[in-house]
Amino acid sequence: MRIKEFQDMIYACGRCNYCRGQDFNERCPEIFTQIWESSTGRGRMAIARGILEGKLDYSEELGERIFGCFMCGRCREECKKAAKIDIIAITKAMRADFVDQGVKIPESGSSMVNIAVSSGNIFADSPAAHAKWAQGLQFVRGSGTLFFPGCLASHRFKEKTNILVRLLQAAGYTLDFLGDDQTCCGTPLWITGRTADAKKWAQNYLRKLKKHGVKEIITPCPSCFRAFDEEYPHLLGMEKFPIRVRHTGEVLEEIVEKKKLNFKVPINKRVTYHDPCEIGRYRGIYEPARRVIRALPGVDFVEMERNRADAFCCGGGGAVKITYEHHSNTVAEERIRDFVRSGAQVMSTVCPACEMNLTHGTYAADVQARVLDVAELMAVAAGIVDREILETDYFPED
Amino acid sequence: MVDAAKITRLLAKVVGPERVSDKDFDLIPYSRDLSPARQKLPTHVVLPQSKEEIQGILRIANQENVPVYVRAGGTSHWDAYLAQEPGIMLDMSRMNRILYINERDLVVTIQPNCTWAKLDRELRKHGLTYLCSEAGGPAMTVGGSVMKAGAGPHSTAKFGCHGDQDVITLEMVLPNGDIVQTGSAAWPSAGKFERQCLGPDLAGMFIGAEGILGICTELTMRIRPATDFKERLIAVMPSLDSVIEFGHFINRNVGDEYLQGIYLWVDPNAPDVFTLMMDIFGYEAEIVEHRKKKLSEEVKKLGGSLGDRGPADDYFGHILTGLTDIFATGVWHFFGAGTLRIDDIKFVYDVWRTELLQKRGYRKAGFGGQVLPRRWLAFMVTNYHEPGDWDELVRMAHEIDEIILAGPVIPYGIGGRDGLRDIVASHDTGYYRLLKTLKRTLDPKNILQRGIFIPEEELQ
Repeated sequence: MRIKEFQDMIYACGRCNYCRGQDFNERCPEIFTQIWESSTGRGRMAIARGILEGKLDYSEELGERIFGCFMCGRCREECKKAAKIDIIAITKAMRADFVDQGVKIPESGSSMVNIAVSSGNIFADSPAAHAKWAQGLQFVRGSGTLFFPGCLASHRFKEKTNILVRLLQAAGYTLDFLGDDQTCCGTPLWITGRTADAKKWAQNYLRKLKKHGVKEIITPCPSCFRAFDEEYPHLLGMEKFPIRVRHTGEVLEEIVEKKKLNFKVPINKRVTYHDPCEIGRYRGIYEPARRVIRALPGVDFVEMERNRADAFCCGGGGAVKITYEHHSNTVAEERIRDFVRSGAQVMSTVCPACEMNLTHGTYAADVQARVLDVAELMAVAAGIVDREILETDYFPED
Repeated sequence: MVDAAKITRLLAKVVGPERVSDKDFDLIPYSRDLSPARQKLPTHVVLPQSKEEIQGILRIANQENVPVYVRAGGTSHWDAYLAQEPGIMLDMSRMNRILYINERDLVVTIQPNCTWAKLDRELRKHGLTYLCSEAGGPAMTVGGSVMKAGAGPHSTAKFGCHGDQDVITLEMVLPNGDIVQTGSAAWPSAGKFERQCLGPDLAGMFIGAEGILGICTELTMRIRPATDFKERLIAVMPSLDSVIEFGHFINRNVGDEYLQGIYLWVDPNAPDVFTLMMDIFGYEAEIVEHRKKKLSEEVKKLGGSLGDRGPADDYFGHILTGLTDIFATGVWHFFGAGTLRIDDIKFVYDVWRTELLQKRGYRKAGFGGQVLPRRWLAFMVTNYHEPGDWDELVRMAHEIDEIILAGPVIPYGIGGRDGLRDIVASHDTGYYRLLKTLKRTLDPKNILQRGIFIPEEELQ
């Protein structure tokens, strides 16, 4: 059992319930949707301990509690004050135990992985569809700086991704692109417990990147960013990934800091920022996007009440969007309520999964608002795209 | 033997199938508390949302003779809610609303699972706060604290345990499903403003009863203006005698007004170093400054020295958000705990030093205490690792409990069979016999919290 590796942590849980919070469900999106104590970090440690002691078994029914975790890291963040338990690592190990023991996992989760493996992306689109967003753009093969959009940015946000690349290129970045060779980074594998397959995937991908002469990867997707920067080295037993990996958030800040673009067009909107879990809590990166937004003309920046390390998940994490879509939408709707309370007109973030889920949240909450990538705001301010994309009646073609 | 499937069906009729579970993985998180109490599994967990649902659940429990256990934030330290027998666990999480903040009468009406942290956050928007609270982190609830008459570091030096001054009225569902209001709320045309006004103080019967006489569904609590001044002191005293004299100084010479909290800590590796952390009370800067001066002078007069206030700020500042390090290395356990006269703190200290440190060589438990108005709440506390340290800790803690409670110490937190209930039962006082009579009268089938506070066989 993979959770055996975490035995000391599991027994270290002092059952203090910091993970649950002050209002029983204001921190953890899983208990927000599933209501049970078994959905909390503390509850999961009790379950893991029960399994270790032979008092509980993995079962298909248990799947909703383990695969219904958004892996947002809010409980782990709180546990830093207490026993410092890596609840996310334990959850991943539990998911892998499901697979190792042949216990059925949510059907849609397994299909997503199978689809990603067979088609190269989580949407089962043909390889040719990968590059549609790039029409009209020029890339420099062998430049060494690979733009890696990931599945969501490639297949669901073609216009946003196109704008992002135009912005980066206008700022002077010489980008390469894998074109039809680009496939999913492999996140669906480890997030659904397919650890053994994940290693093979990472080996092959690294070989492909090296062959392509990649020295640096720039990606807008926090999951892809962490895949290359954290998961691959872990899977491949490396201290450090041999290729530099940067999330676009860092690059966008570089553009502002080094004055690579001139921002003249006023945004004239009240804007808030949603911290993606995998950039914020996972990596402690909270300020760059905020500094970028504040640097744009005509932005009235406001915070949502739950922000930075306390930010509520968008509902898109942990593959819950795929496995339990109704839970995912419930959480997105709640996050949109945070947005409404903030008085902002535009919700911005730096994660395609958050952008998609929060957009769905606006539909569920019946709120007319645009959810934009910070790069889109920059592109408007730099005069690269028309400011019409800021308006609620604007619908991207994709 | 509980017919689990039948009870599930019946409960689902009351709360809907989405708020009842009999699945093993949903039950196991309710099988332990913050103490080393043995694991005890309920058969069901239910999340009620109203007093009417609780009435319905109790009717089923009586009809089917299934015990009901009540859990608030799940942070009890003495087997106080664990299912002593197979039964229904009421998870009160969803009854957590703040119903009414009455700024004119300075009272607030809340549901029992409102946490202190949530209450404080809302009250401060109105420039108000509650009277006092325990320390237990963000999940600690008002209902849980009041039902055990808890005490702790925040303002208890001034206002005492929960129930001393803060509770105005309670709404309780009795084991037979009847609903009772206490204090002025018992007079329907009046309001919720006074605890002691109509015959005996029935609220007092429920406060500290650990839920064996009724389930709290609403509380009205006294509130007060929040003070903007935070002045904390740290003093190192030369002896326990000087600590005792300082305690008397607080109570007699300057009244109960000077401090919100005063916490004594003695580290097991430095048993002659007596550290006092103090949180000064006062609504105006001049008054706080004056009190600080008087307290500082007394510390020096008694041979103590004042140190950097940082640790005191950290301690009193994190009572609600979570005291760091407490849970850093595993499970936290209180033992040898209870309330006692100011002068009797020496007894507990001597037991700690001779029985724990010297005879047993256990050097992982510190000695601590909170000064309450005219008394102490003293305790020994340790972090330990499960399962490795468990046997030794449980055996040792029980021996210490027996020694302490044979002395001038009143037990704090009774709980179930892994708590102090057997020690309490063995005393067989008139008080205890009356409590059993009350329990038999109100709960003839011993449905509510069966085995908590009073062993089941004592009620047969």
